[in-house]
Amino acid sequence: MTTQTPPRVAEWLLRRTLPAGTRGQSILGDLVEEWREAGATPRATLRFWRHALSLALRYSVKHDRSHGHPPERSDDMFLDNLRNDLRYAVRSYAKAPAFTLIILTTLALGIGASTAIFSMVNGILLQPLPLPDPDRLVYANEVNGKGVVISMAWPNYVDWRARAQSFQSLANSRDEPYTLTGVDRAQRLRGRRVTGNFFQTLGVSPVLGRGFTEEDDRPNTPPAVVISEPFWRTQLGADPAIIGRTLQLNDAAHTVVGVLPRDFQFVRPYDVFVSMGPMAGERNLLDRGNHTGFYALGRLKPGVSVEAAGAELRSIAASLEHEYPNTNTGVSVRAERLADRLVTDIRLTLLVLFGAVGFLLLIACVNVANLLVARGAARQHELAVRAALGGSRRRLVSQMLVESTLVSIAGGALGVGAGAWLLRALVAVAPEGTPRIADVRLDAAALAFAFAAAAICGLVFGALPAFQASGDAGQQVLVRGRAAGFASRSHRLRRGLMVVETALALVLLTGAGLMMRTLHELTQVETGFRSDHLVTTRFSLAGEQWTRPKRVAFYNELQSRLRAVPGISDAAFTYSLPIDGSNWNSIFIVGDKPVPPRSQLPSAAFTPVSAGFFETMGMRLIRGRFFDGTDSATAPKVTVINESLAKRLWPGEDAVGKRLKQGWPETPNEWREVVGVVADVKLNGVAAETPMQAYLPLPQEPPESMAIVARTQGDPAAAGPAIEAAMQQLNKDLPLFQIRTMDDVLGTSLARQRMSMLVFVIFALVALTLASIGLYGVVAHGVTERMHEIGVRIALGAEQWHVVGMIVRQGLSMALVGTAIGVAGAIALSRWIQSLLFGVTATDPATLAAVVTVLLAVAVVACSVPAWRATRVDPTSALRAE
Amino acid sequence: MPPPAYLGEFEQLLLLAIARLGDRAYGLDIARELEDRAGRVVSRGALYTSLDRLEDKGLLRWRAAEGTPARNGLPRRLYVVTPAGMAALRASRDTLRRMWHGLEHLFKEPTS
Repeated sequence: MTTQTPPRVAEWLLRRTLPAGTRGQSILGDLVEEWREAGATPRATLRFWRHALSLALRYSVKHDRSHGHPPERSDDMFLDNLRNDLRYAVRSYAKAPAFTLIILTTLALGIGASTAIFSMVNGILLQPLPLPDPDRLVYANEVNGKGVVISMAWPNYVDWRARAQSFQSLANSRDEPYTLTGVDRAQRLRGRRVTGNFFQTLGVSPVLGRGFTEEDDRPNTPPAVVISEPFWRTQLGADPAIIGRTLQLNDAAHTVVGVLPRDFQFVRPYDVFVSMGPMAGERNLLDRGNHTGFYALGRLKPGVSVEAAGAELRSIAASLEHEYPNTNTGVSVRAERLADRLVTDIRLTLLVLFGAVGFLLLIACVNVANLLVARGAARQHELAVRAALGGSRRRLVSQMLVESTLVSIAGGALGVGAGAWLLRALVAVAPEGTPRIADVRLDAAALAFAFAAAAICGLVFGALPAFQASGDAGQQVLVRGRAAGFASRSHRLRRGLMVVETALALVLLTGAGLMMRTLHELTQVETGFRSDHLVTTRFSLAGEQWTRPKRVAFYNELQSRLRAVPGISDAAFTYSLPIDGSNWNSIFIVGDKPVPPRSQLPSAAFTPVSAGFFETMGMRLIRGRFFDGTDSATAPKVTVINESLAKRLWPGEDAVGKRLKQGWPETPNEWREVVGVVADVKLNGVAAETPMQAYLPLPQEPPESMAIVARTQGDPAAAGPAIEAAMQQLNKDLPLFQIRTMDDVLGTSLARQRMSMLVFVIFALVALTLASIGLYGVVAHGVTERMHEIGVRIALGAEQWHVVGMIVRQGLSMALVGTAIGVAGAIALSRWIQSLLFGVTATDPATLAAVVTVLLAVAVVACSVPAWRATRVDPTSALRAE
Repeated sequence: MPPPAYLGEFEQLLLLAIARLGDRAYGLDIARELEDRAGRVVSRGALYTSLDRLEDKGLLRWRAAEGTPARNGLPRRLYVVTPAGMAALRASRDTLRRMWHGLEHLFKEPTS
């Protein structure tokens, strides 16, 4: 154990129980000193706890010092009683193993599950970012007229920076992958291009060397790079003399100027941060209509709110719209807290899961209450006898409290284990790239909360029978020989609890049903391509020596080599991979329609693809033709569009032969003729609507980075090395990254829904189990209570089915009331879950009907078992027992 | 002067430990002294409540001393046996002596 703080809970306990002032502090000090001298090991911690408990016990029973001391023996008596109570409690739990097992399982599941989910919510949503003053960090971005984020045009950023008053500093940065060469094996690095004030804005300073300065933003400054600590440690051997050395990034020498602190992280892990200087003054950067993937990051001046800053940026955007109507029409701003931005996608999922967990904890508590009340009712007689024989109310209550506490502590300990296990499982199934997932730890506060909830519940309902037994009514129990008085009272309570539990279980079941439907619908979505036997990977040809003709030649050569690899039946390239999302969206105009106002220009995903792409993916041609070898750089410019674009722009017409042009009306791009229409593929994930899409022939628009898609004859996951070998033969400085099968890509895109479904289904099953156990218990108890009556009925000639019907009916009436309340609750809560659903509404009648059926079926079974037992009552023995 | 207070066995051990440690007797050292010399592993709850009781009887007193970083800066209580405490110890010893007197042959230590 490396942390140098003694166990905090134990310390808290001591501060509560020890006398105030030097007296108590010195005792605590002695323990701390001993703990530290013992090396702060787990063993020392255990000892600390033992001391703390003995002190807490002694001092909590010691009377106020000002009233003098009770004789020494009083302590011993207390301890003796406690010891006896504990022994008695253990024995009575051991005598009822089924009861003990059920109550411990309930507590473990309730406490464990709620702690795990809360820890997740806490780690991802609630904990502040590990940056100084994170609430003042604002993520700002430009959006188009439809509210779609389009990233920042550099000149607009420059104007924001000059005009905005809300920020102490305003930085800009964008994702930029780099290829590291000049090392044994070329590597793909995760990089970010950042302005000189980026690290000051975040409030981070390097541990070695320096961060960037304004100087690094100027054109013609030598390229500089700040590297992450993990990259420095694992790739550069933690070289202490790294500052001043150069790294070959995208074939340009970059000087290492700084190493970041170990725990620094911005949004996601990066290897390198590169200075702006080398690209300052580039033409496409200075184009105000070109939104180049940059995102602004501001640190607010103290006292300025995010809303105020957002309003200021919007008003700046409005004046820019006036000044530059050609490029800035319809361009507005979205500003939000950096912390909120990071978790936008996962936030709702987590909050809904959090709600579900609250329900589960409630069910667990209700079940614990139910079990303890039942147990209490069964022990009325014993307690009444003890009260009559002179057991004081205090002793009876304290003994019941000891029993409740014991079971709570045991359940809590199991809950810690269950929670740790569940959290590990959740982190494992969490969607790839879930922000801050590395920060997730089992949360001590959550554990304490869940534990306290279950313990309080246990204490209250555990002590209830003792209070009842020691009252006047207790004597009646003795006199009448049967616990009828309480039994009916406690039975009413249990029936009430049962209704609550059924209702809660139904809500969870509904959630599970809806999530299962959602996942099913998602897997049924027509993706537009064949995902089996398909493998994909990316690479890039960055650097100045890769001119357009060289890129085209390289792609052609690589394609023919890949096609020759044994086991690969076809291979092609695409700029944007289906499901993975579009890397290039642009506005466009069409040749035969009037040009709409600037803010209403249509936008499509533009996707350069090689010949053979459509065939490799198994896409369907609707009209015209696919690309082929004739679509060269010098051939007439052409495009293949998707069905959505054809239907939107030319409804009812044949789109083949029409013309479109990418970019603004005045951009000097060439017109392209539509030569084919292909069926839509799911471009931006399975659940998202397919956008309009225009494919361009690779030779006419060769990007610097491409994804390879290859169809294999055998297992696609095994094809990676062969593809890498083909690439290495051609050029050893080009690393491949993200080698995945297309089925994995699909699976990853469903990870969020899969996680939600898994949690809901687990919770629903637990809830259903708990509810059926509860129902069984209540009904069985009812049967025992009415043994006499049933015996009389059978003696008077009642039919078996009649007895069964009577008992099942009574049990089912509880389940029905609970179900009705639960359905109402589920409908009331439906709007919260709607955003997680796909292809099914939150109040889907079929799902509700199915859920109600399942619940009632389980209820019938739970009631039938005791009902059947009731028919076996031997009337003579039932009557004799009276 | 009132007659010396009656001392239980554990109380005697505590006062003796404090007397042995001189002016540096604080809780942790007292516990260790009892453990090393008397072979008594004593629960902290019993230790400190007994010290409090002896203090209430006027047999020991303490003064606060500054804490060290090793104890998170928390103060120490340095205990000393009061004259009344010394008197009580002496009385206990005398009582024991008188009771032992003449019985030495029964408990002769094996020689060699």
